[in-house]
Amino acid sequence: MRSLLSVLVFLFIAVVQAVSSSGDRLLVILEDDAEKAGYSKFLGDLESRGFEITYETPKSESLSLFHLGERSYDHVLLLPTKSKGLGPNLTPNILLDFINANGNILLTLSSSTPAPTSIVSLLLELDIHLPPDRQGLVVDHFNYDTSSASETHDVLLLPSPGPLRPGLKDFFSPVSEDGNLLAFPHGMGQTLGQGALLSPILRAPATAYSYNPKEQSEVVDDLFAAGQQLSLVSTMQARNSARFTVVGSAEMLSDQWFDAKVKKLGEKSAVKTLNRAFAKQVSGWTFKEIGVLRVNWVEHHLNEEGMSNASNPKIYRIKNDVKYSISLSEYSWDKYIPFEVPESDALQLEFSMLSPFHRLQLTPQISSSDSTYSVAFTLPDQHGIFNFKVNYKRPFFSNIEEKHTVSVRHFAHDEWPRSFVISGAWPWMAGIGATVTGWLAFCAIWLYSAPSAAKKNQ
Amino acid sequence: MRFLYSLTPSLLLLAAGAAQAASSWGFADATVSVNSKKGAGTGSKEKFSVKAPLSQPVVLGTTDSLKILLTAQEDGKDKRPHQAFVVLQEPTTGLEAPFPLTVKESGKATVEIKQSELPVQLAASTAPLKASIVLASFGSSEGLNTPIFDVEIKTDPTASPVVYEKPLRYGKQEEIHHIFRDDPKSPPKVISLAFVLAVVATVPALFVGWLALGANVSHLSKALSDAPLAHGVFFGSIIAMEGVFFMYYVSWNLFQTLPVAGIVGTATFLSGAKALGEVQSRRLAGER
Amino acid sequence: MAVATTASSGPVDLLINVGKNQSTKTLLRVIILCFIAGAAIASRLFSVIRFESIIHEFDPWFNFRATKYLVANGFYDFWDWFDDRTWHPLGRVTGGTLYPGLMVTSGVIYHLLRALTVPVDIRNICVLLAPACSGLTAFATYLLTNEMTTSSSAGLLAAAFMGIAPGYISRSVAGSYDNEAIAIFLLVFTFYLWIKALKLGSVLWGALCALFYGYMVASWGGYAFITCLVPLHAFVLICMGRFSMRLYVSYTTWYALGTLASMQIPFVGFLPVRTSEHMPALGIFGFLQLVAFLEYVRSAIPSRQFQTFLYVALGGIFGLSLLGLVGLTAGGYIAPWSGRFYSLWDTGYAKIHIPIIASVSEHQPTAWPAFFFDLNMLIWLFPAGVYLCFQKLEDEHVFIIVYALFGSYFAGVMVRLMLTLTPVVCVAAAIAVSQLLDTYLVARSPEVPDTEEEASDGHAKKASKQGGLRASSQPVVGIYNVVGKGFIAGAMVLYLLIFVQHCTWVTSNAYSSPSVVLASRMPDGSQHIIDDYREAYQWLRQNTREDAKIMSWWDYGYQIGGMADRPTLVDNNTWNNTHIATVGKAMASREEVSYPIMRQHEVDYVLVVFGGLLGYSGDDINKFLWMVRIAEGIWPDEVKERDYFTPRGEYRVDSEASETMKNSLMYKMSYYNYGSLFPPGQAQDRVRGARLPEQGPVLNTLEEAYTSENWIIRIYKVKDLDNVGRDHASAASFEKGHKKKKASKKRGPRVLRVD
Repeated sequence: MRSLLSVLVFLFIAVVQAVSSSGDRLLVILEDDAEKAGYSKFLGDLESRGFEITYETPKSESLSLFHLGERSYDHVLLLPTKSKGLGPNLTPNILLDFINANGNILLTLSSSTPAPTSIVSLLLELDIHLPPDRQGLVVDHFNYDTSSASETHDVLLLPSPGPLRPGLKDFFSPVSEDGNLLAFPHGMGQTLGQGALLSPILRAPATAYSYNPKEQSEVVDDLFAAGQQLSLVSTMQARNSARFTVVGSAEMLSDQWFDAKVKKLGEKSAVKTLNRAFAKQVSGWTFKEIGVLRVNWVEHHLNEEGMSNASNPKIYRIKNDVKYSISLSEYSWDKYIPFEVPESDALQLEFSMLSPFHRLQLTPQISSSDSTYSVAFTLPDQHGIFNFKVNYKRPFFSNIEEKHTVSVRHFAHDEWPRSFVISGAWPWMAGIGATVTGWLAFCAIWLYSAPSAAKKNQ
Repeated sequence: MRFLYSLTPSLLLLAAGAAQAASSWGFADATVSVNSKKGAGTGSKEKFSVKAPLSQPVVLGTTDSLKILLTAQEDGKDKRPHQAFVVLQEPTTGLEAPFPLTVKESGKATVEIKQSELPVQLAASTAPLKASIVLASFGSSEGLNTPIFDVEIKTDPTASPVVYEKPLRYGKQEEIHHIFRDDPKSPPKVISLAFVLAVVATVPALFVGWLALGANVSHLSKALSDAPLAHGVFFGSIIAMEGVFFMYYVSWNLFQTLPVAGIVGTATFLSGAKALGEVQSRRLAGER
Repeated sequence: MAVATTASSGPVDLLINVGKNQSTKTLLRVIILCFIAGAAIASRLFSVIRFESIIHEFDPWFNFRATKYLVANGFYDFWDWFDDRTWHPLGRVTGGTLYPGLMVTSGVIYHLLRALTVPVDIRNICVLLAPACSGLTAFATYLLTNEMTTSSSAGLLAAAFMGIAPGYISRSVAGSYDNEAIAIFLLVFTFYLWIKALKLGSVLWGALCALFYGYMVASWGGYAFITCLVPLHAFVLICMGRFSMRLYVSYTTWYALGTLASMQIPFVGFLPVRTSEHMPALGIFGFLQLVAFLEYVRSAIPSRQFQTFLYVALGGIFGLSLLGLVGLTAGGYIAPWSGRFYSLWDTGYAKIHIPIIASVSEHQPTAWPAFFFDLNMLIWLFPAGVYLCFQKLEDEHVFIIVYALFGSYFAGVMVRLMLTLTPVVCVAAAIAVSQLLDTYLVARSPEVPDTEEEASDGHAKKASKQGGLRASSQPVVGIYNVVGKGFIAGAMVLYLLIFVQHCTWVTSNAYSSPSVVLASRMPDGSQHIIDDYREAYQWLRQNTREDAKIMSWWDYGYQIGGMADRPTLVDNNTWNNTHIATVGKAMASREEVSYPIMRQHEVDYVLVVFGGLLGYSGDDINKFLWMVRIAEGIWPDEVKERDYFTPRGEYRVDSEASETMKNSLMYKMSYYNYGSLFPPGQAQDRVRGARLPEQGPVLNTLEEAYTSENWIIRIYKVKDLDNVGRDHASAASFEKGHKKKKASKKRGPRVLRVD
């Protein structure tokens, strides 16, 4: 009865509160509680998606990301604060520990307030660089909102970004009938290092650039970055799949720009911004509501007739035929759905010892409830300790690194082809037969031969 | 990249449309020259304008620097824009590197680009880079974004070439299929069979030889009558031993073979003493 | 001790001879042999008494592990054993690359005892197998010596010598569970059977010889010694014109059956027909056929000229076949002499071409005191014995001479081969001693009363003194003199006593240390056990995942496998030089180079041996140059031995050490945090007597996991890749609180980010 009840409760929760795949405790850090009002729609959306939001200010005594070595929150949303640092509870080390403990952080910046030093240090560790003096403003004299920033050109209007490169799933291109423009108001751009863990979501258009409004209002003497190298919304997915997103403009998530009508330079009519849908995608991705992959099971077995085909044996023999299967699911807002590899991408299996001997594409079998990828192949003719390795790391998908170690042994003494199968061995076998016959005959003659007549004569 | 390609024409359109707008940015007295480090100012100055970009690419050597001089103008009046960039674009990848011009209050702008200042991808480019000028500022004046010339990068063959290592990007990788060693081959069956015949033929040859030398088994009955058990067991055990070996070849393992071989061997040994004694007695009697 | 009994066996025999009671003599002999065996076993138990019943050193740990596998999984699984816990990730086809004789012997004993319902631990069988076999060796030596001489005391003396000679004990103390443990018994016994077969010309003895030869092949790689010595003996006999049907029968029987038997061992397989080392045996086999044929022809055809022609033909065929052999070797059908073999002829060869062989201490040339240390008085009796063999020069004496010649040479080239020399030294020395004793004690004076006097006197000193006085009045002088006899006998007894004393001392002090456990003396003289090895291996066993891969220098591979039961990268079975060089490179390179290597090989822990605190000189820093050399052999561009020396060519670890040395992983692991034991700037390395730099090394890619009590073993854990993609150095500096203020400028041109 109790279990039934708990199942019911569980179902109830599942239905009513869609929740992230990695927990629902969200901490929002803001300057003071009053600022909440400005982001009410965004925060409301988060709450309606099942997050339990705690609000704290950086100076708060009770603020602690960890409790007894365990994370107190699953996600952190950092809204711009005015203070220079973030206090002793949000040092770069603590924030990095939070990432290392698989917590997700959504960081927002703004051109109006310099980024806290703590954040700058953290970003530097992640190889994300902010403009000098922690301050910068992105402007584009070619793509700005004429209705709100006709003079300052600091409200950028951008089309939805589309996939980063072919073969990647496009998470951040919301579709809306009203319009297809994102407003990026008063934002601070970033540049990214060369690391593979970093990926930009939204990059500045070719003519946009970042300058320091305080020092470079007249002339841009030292350019921080411009064009595609300037990232407006960027992400870092750590090796443990913890996610970290920098949104260059906090205002982008505010109520004001969720509903704003914008008019692009040269356009006649004003359109609604896509910001609300984009914010949902970005926060949903950061807080692991989308793009989370799960390995349901991995199975490999001998694929030969007349042999024991038990699952996941520890040892195979060289040149065995084997079959490897892996079942994957993808989390989509509130539930796991079968995972489909994006078009022109492939899920690959490596069979490797020191270096891959095989790298094969896994072929999918996708049903409504399950997606299984499998491949059958022949083991290499080299004994050793091999790994079945599925290393599926793609930007915006959580990392999959499945390593299953098996030993591949040599032929046992009785597994070679028998000598009568090998035609080259026939003369030798005939030799054995002849020797045996000769030996037996010799024994018989030696034992039972009577002296021949000729000998008698001698 | 796609995004970029789609963007570029629209920008060009924008730039073209700027001419009709109320106010727009432009430039005048634009020249480009290539100065090499050793013989300064060897490169000739070439003039260009918005309407007349250079048709010939500018060649930039390893130690050379590219110098662009121009005067920025808003609606024909010299003025300082906020954004004054020379943008070099690598045409195959679309990568861009902006170089801000140093602009004076009067709108006189200058920039000097050394080859060593170019980002690696651009410096290693084999196709000519596309240079364009971006002039824009706050307010309502339309910005200018126009191609001006191409830059051909010439590298010194003696200098160490610029290597660009592609950074690690997660994605699909090349498939690998293990190449198996060839199976050991047997010689043609005909040859094997010929040798088999040759080997087998030795048996009759041996027998014929023995017969020719007068071999026979005529003492069999005598031997059997003298020591029937011993002889029977002895010869039988010799044959049985071959049988044991045969069974070992066919199916038995060592632990099945050894006990049986032991039993048969013991039988051979025990019966052999008697049987061979009988043979010896015949020999001593001169009957062998 | 039993030796004392034996030493006096001459006079005892004399007494028996007087009694002329054959059965009493046999009984006495059996009793004496039993005592000898008892003494042999007892003297090998020092290690068990001093320490405990434990497997010693390095290789025995593998043998022990293999034996456990055999006992647990049965013979056929052992035969096909693919060991995935060594040589990670290559694995080792262990069943096909070992000499199974030792393990199978232990397994058989184990099952036999189990069948007799004696519940015995396999470990105890393994520990005590070597002493048990030494008893058998003594007996085999007795048999072999008896074939050489008619003197019955020689055999007993030889048995006694063999039982306690340190040269053999060094490899056969309790716990030294190595192939040599049973191989020496088999070696001596095979030689005995060979002599027996040769003397009798018997197929039966030849077959027995082949059988034991097969057992020997199954047990020890040193079987090649027999494979070469027996044909050499045969060849020498033929050259001396001593070809006989006995030789023909015994040799052909031995060769045919022995080769077939040896080919049954997977590790040997087709080597007997494919490698140069085995070619002498095959060549002599063919040569014997020729000689036999020619002998037959000679007996049939009387013509002298025809005979000379035949001899020319014989030489021609021999030369042709030699040419054919060379041709086949050049064509690659027969493997040329292996490097190991070359190193036997040129002691400098290994150091240049195969550092991995040269790096083993027991492959070094022998220092001359070692001969005296290992054989004591036998070493000077040995030439006398060989001389006596020359005097008799029967077929079997030729064997001893040939054996003595080659045994001495090889023992001089390699310390390890002292072992093969010991039996022949014992035999020859026993012949010499017995000859001496027989001459002086048995020789009858022309006058009868003297002899009686002699017999009753025995060798008591008082009697000899008395006799000496009397002897001066006797007309008979020289060896018939009681003084002379007494003096010689007394001296001999003294020598024998000193020999026993020496053997016991050497055994107890030099050869009974398990080397897994180190013993030292406390100031008050009590023994203090340093047990760091087992402590660390136990830590590994209990605190790491079962499949955690341990990287260490290959010396410790077997021990880690045996005691810690963890997979290793390389071990003492040095079959893959490249893999060892890889480990050497990882140890010798900078962290940034080593880390990818360790990642690629899935290394979880790195183990180093560091003796600096205790003054334990057999540590990794002292072996380090070998790692460098072996790595240099494969990557001459990346690892250079010269870089590890100071500009003045010194190998130093203090602040003068070269940068390459200081940045090498091995150096860093050895001295990491070492300074914290001392007051600042006082850190001292007691092995190399060096004061270490004040600033200790910094490790970024490894973290210290465990350090044993006396710092002998240090274990490091390999860090995972940084979670957010930094390199380890910057991650470590961030952990320490160095926050970056600005992005560090990298050298070289700007790189645009490409997605």
